Amino acid sequence: MGRTCDTMTVELPHIDAAGALATSAVRPIVASRLSKRYREVLAVDGVDIDLPGGVVGGFVGPNGAGKTTTIQLLLGLVRPTSGTATVLGESIEHPERYLRRVGALIESPSFYPALSGRRNLEVLTRLGRLDKSRIDEVLALVELTERANHRVKTYSLGMKQRLGVAAALLPDPELVILDEPTNGLDPAGIREMRGVMRSLADRGITVLVSSHLLREIEAICDHLIMIDHGRIVFQGPIGGLLDAQQTGLIARPEHAADLEKLAALCIAAGKPARIDGEVLRVAAPEEWAAELNRHAFRAGITLRGLEVTRATLEEAFFAITDTDTTADVPAGGEIA
Amino acid sequence: MWGAFSSEWVKLQRRSMLAWGFGAGLFFPLLATILTIERAVRNPAFTGGHGHGIRVTYAVLEQATGLVHGVVDVSSLIGLVSLCLFAAAFSLEYSQGTLRNLLVREPRRARFLGGKFLALVLFVGLIVIIAVGISVAFAFALAPGKGISTAAWTSSTGVNDMLQAVLHAFIAAVIYGVFGAALGVLLRSPAVSIPVAVAYFLPIEAIITGAIWSGGSNWLPDHLLVALAHGGNGDSTYSHAAVMLVIYAVAVSLGILALFRARDA
Repeated sequence: MGRTCDTMTVELPHIDAAGALATSAVRPIVASRLSKRYREVLAVDGVDIDLPGGVVGGFVGPNGAGKTTTIQLLLGLVRPTSGTATVLGESIEHPERYLRRVGALIESPSFYPALSGRRNLEVLTRLGRLDKSRIDEVLALVELTERANHRVKTYSLGMKQRLGVAAALLPDPELVILDEPTNGLDPAGIREMRGVMRSLADRGITVLVSSHLLREIEAICDHLIMIDHGRIVFQGPIGGLLDAQQTGLIARPEHAADLEKLAALCIAAGKPARIDGEVLRVAAPEEWAAELNRHAFRAGITLRGLEVTRATLEEAFFAITDTDTTADVPAGGEIA
Repeated sequence: MWGAFSSEWVKLQRRSMLAWGFGAGLFFPLLATILTIERAVRNPAFTGGHGHGIRVTYAVLEQATGLVHGVVDVSSLIGLVSLCLFAAAFSLEYSQGTLRNLLVREPRRARFLGGKFLALVLFVGLIVIIAVGISVAFAFALAPGKGISTAAWTSSTGVNDMLQAVLHAFIAAVIYGVFGAALGVLLRSPAVSIPVAVAYFLPIEAIITGAIWSGGSNWLPDHLLVALAHGGNGDSTYSHAAVMLVIYAVAVSLGILALFRARDA
């Protein structure tokens, strides 16, 4: 079911935050027509979000797409121009009713550089009247125990990022919202962060993680919300989105001289193909791989390699947001 | 509100805050006390610096109010320390980006603001008490060497005057702090709010009353604060200064609260 994005032929069903609550278990985040305008700029434009519980939800979009503003709206830090939302069943007009159960890391981690990591967490613990024993627990969780008594100004960006995650986990939250948590982390740190997020989900904590790094989101998330120019362009299970994207086949004949002959066979069968160095790239679904193998065998071509390529999240994102590209609507997902 | 108070107290224990707040807060009164006593003149006919803290006579210092003469004269400088302290404490939350983290943990903004303000008031109160305490100790230590009688200082009037000086300096420092907090919230940057605050309370108000509106010394805050610290002076009576300053403080506090609650973080 191909759709061009500029026609917007598939409407997102309007989500009534109150109605959603009345008919189902409390969803961690439900937003309905949420908008935020800063003078001339419509940063968030009628966003509808319905995030299921217990998932690691990816909130993706390019820089300036409206991710951080949406998160700030959900945390009660900025007021919406219009629309409504609930977090853990409570209206964002009353953030005091739900923020005790929410942990958040907003944009770059900001701390008092002259205070130690532990004292910075103590500031937040005292402010939120949280259990002080959580400080040691969260420091251990992000592996900062050894550096906990050092001043934050001596921390690397990665350590500050981990301290930010520790701060988010202080209230033992039901929902964790992390804005670009892997910024500044080295590959090992990114892997650790993935582990932390996955372990949170395993404990039943819903995680919403925003990033402009689509590969990161692809690696850790099972639910996806895509935003572009302040509008939600997709939300649903990430697997459904990727499965629905065009797959391709890469055939590698034993002799390069057979490439043209093999390409002609594919085109004759109605599958676009192009030679790319020593391989043939065929636009065809996974199921056609066996057919391609049979065609090659009958034509006396021996294949020394045949593999299926899948669209990455990055390709899926551009397929959805590029107005000249068709995108398939995956099962369980919605494209606006 | 207790959470915000308690949390702010952790931040106020930063070495920079302690060094800057207490360093500047103690330096001026101590310097004023030492200079007042060391530069005091015995000649009772001398009137050159009377009441202005630069040079006073022994007779003035030997009165009950002599003990805190220097402190009273520099109470506006203690106030300026308070002004900068409040402006920095509020504006740094914006410029460091820490405000958002704090408001996630305490979204009730009035409570947050109130708790933070009270912690700063207590901090400034400690500065004033310790500043006066050290100044008094130095005054007692230096006076006998200069032949200045301290008998009146320990009288009930002397003790009463000292307590009044502490109270006036504290109230003035808190009201300076209200203005500092307002500028911190309004301008959101210590690099802007502190210079603006100091510029207004040092030269600008003096220029206004000196060159533009001489009657302003009875209405503008810095002059009123000086009058309050002195228990009334030629510009304003004590009661007029106190009433006007309470009006200013309440109006500015309500303004800060409204702005802080309405504005996106």
